[in-house]
Amino acid sequence: MGLPLFTPSNDPGPSFVKFIETQGKDIMSALDSNLSPHATTVVAVRFNGGVVMVGDRQATGGYIASRDVRKIAAADHYTGVAISGSAARGLEFIKIAQLSFEHYEKMSDAALSLEGKANYLSPMIQQNNLYTPLTVVPLLAGWDLSHSVGRVFEYDGAGGCYERNDFAVIGSGTPFAESTLRLGFRDDLTREEAIDLAALAIYEAGDNDPSTGGPDFVRGLFPMIVVIDQNGFAEQDDGFTASTFRTINDRRTQSRGLAGGTLR
Amino acid sequence: MSNFMYVAPEQMMKDRAEFAQKGIARGRSLIAVIYDTGVVIVAENPSASLYKVSEIYDRIAFAGVGKYNEFDRLREAGIRWADSTGFTYSREDVDARALANYYAQHLGDMFTEGSKPLEVELLVAQLGNALRPTKIYRVAYEGTISDEPRFAVLGGDAETVRQRFLRTEGGPIGLAQTLQHAIAAISGPERTIPTADLEVGVLEERGKRRTFVRLSDAEVDTLRQ
Repeated sequence: MGLPLFTPSNDPGPSFVKFIETQGKDIMSALDSNLSPHATTVVAVRFNGGVVMVGDRQATGGYIASRDVRKIAAADHYTGVAISGSAARGLEFIKIAQLSFEHYEKMSDAALSLEGKANYLSPMIQQNNLYTPLTVVPLLAGWDLSHSVGRVFEYDGAGGCYERNDFAVIGSGTPFAESTLRLGFRDDLTREEAIDLAALAIYEAGDNDPSTGGPDFVRGLFPMIVVIDQNGFAEQDDGFTASTFRTINDRRTQSRGLAGGTLR
Repeated sequence: MSNFMYVAPEQMMKDRAEFAQKGIARGRSLIAVIYDTGVVIVAENPSASLYKVSEIYDRIAFAGVGKYNEFDRLREAGIRWADSTGFTYSREDVDARALANYYAQHLGDMFTEGSKPLEVELLVAQLGNALRPTKIYRVAYEGTISDEPRFAVLGGDAETVRQRFLRTEGGPIGLAQTLQHAIAAISGPERTIPTADLEVGVLEERGKRRTFVRLSDAEVDTLRQ
């Protein structure tokens, strides 16, 4: 490819997706195949200093296609993006989101606002989901630098973007994870409480939904836990995720699989 | 009877070169230097928002002198080229030499075929790693590309600045000293450029994927002392 130069009237501006369309590459709409493993449950929970995201690691296509998919990624330093639905499309979607935000920042010498990032994803989802069966539903969460607050945005299958004041869930384990969050969410959650609640929601989803993977003690694979606060996106290390899920699992083992009347 | 007038190709090239040189000479100069752990680019620029030095990719920086609207479009084209090459292949396949060549072709084409030559000079710098060397490429208004071994000067008065910098040059040294020499070279002996009128960009390993950073006035002040 040569130097992509434009005249002012046909210049695609700082949008990477618009630019790539001028090159005849339609990155989010071609239909390849019906056979694509699906990535499942991710939750995002707000707390008083940011947002916690937890996501399982399994991709399922009738059988377990992968046990170590990373469905949550740093879209940039202050933003996490997660996907459910077609794993192939979802992972490509994450790549485009990351590239688009960086592209905008380099082109304009200013980072997009968090709301700007959330809105940018809408037409990509709409275009993908309306024209292919390889549906993708993302989740965007981040630290809003202009308002010093953690924010969560969820999407519907048609690309509609909705901000949530409490929490958001995507993927096939949604009923179970959402029930847990609905019972356990409070306005004044601390960071630690939010991590425990979000992890419990994924544990519940893994326990009840066949497509959601729970903690895998045999292989030492655990759901991803990410905290986004004023210091930016931070994935928690394996030791921490292992002990968080081991604690939940030990409690459940003691009560023989029952929550036992409390959120535990 | 037509008004066509014959102009010898030599004369035409000379006129075009003079035109471009005049435009470029009006701007202030800019210097890029390889120091022991990176590349520093220093420009005299009273504007704090219309940048001459920019990030292109993880390890590639861009700088331009001359007409702002002309080199800024080339900066944008460079970012687009780099981002789409990295997206299509891999991040490690984005190479400064390829970009500098594209710039050279474009400037060359505009010089010979355009309605007027572009009044810009460009610089593409790359921070090396195991795969590629640290490099500074300079692309002149007529498309000449040169691979500068240690440092490059662009813009008006480039030769004077070059001579001044050569006198301070020793082996590779740290950022602070390199920056001081670079600033001294573009200021000259008679004046001191206030930090607010300097634009400084650095390519340096900081444990992150993106190695380009703009230094703030406070950081430049600290390094100047």
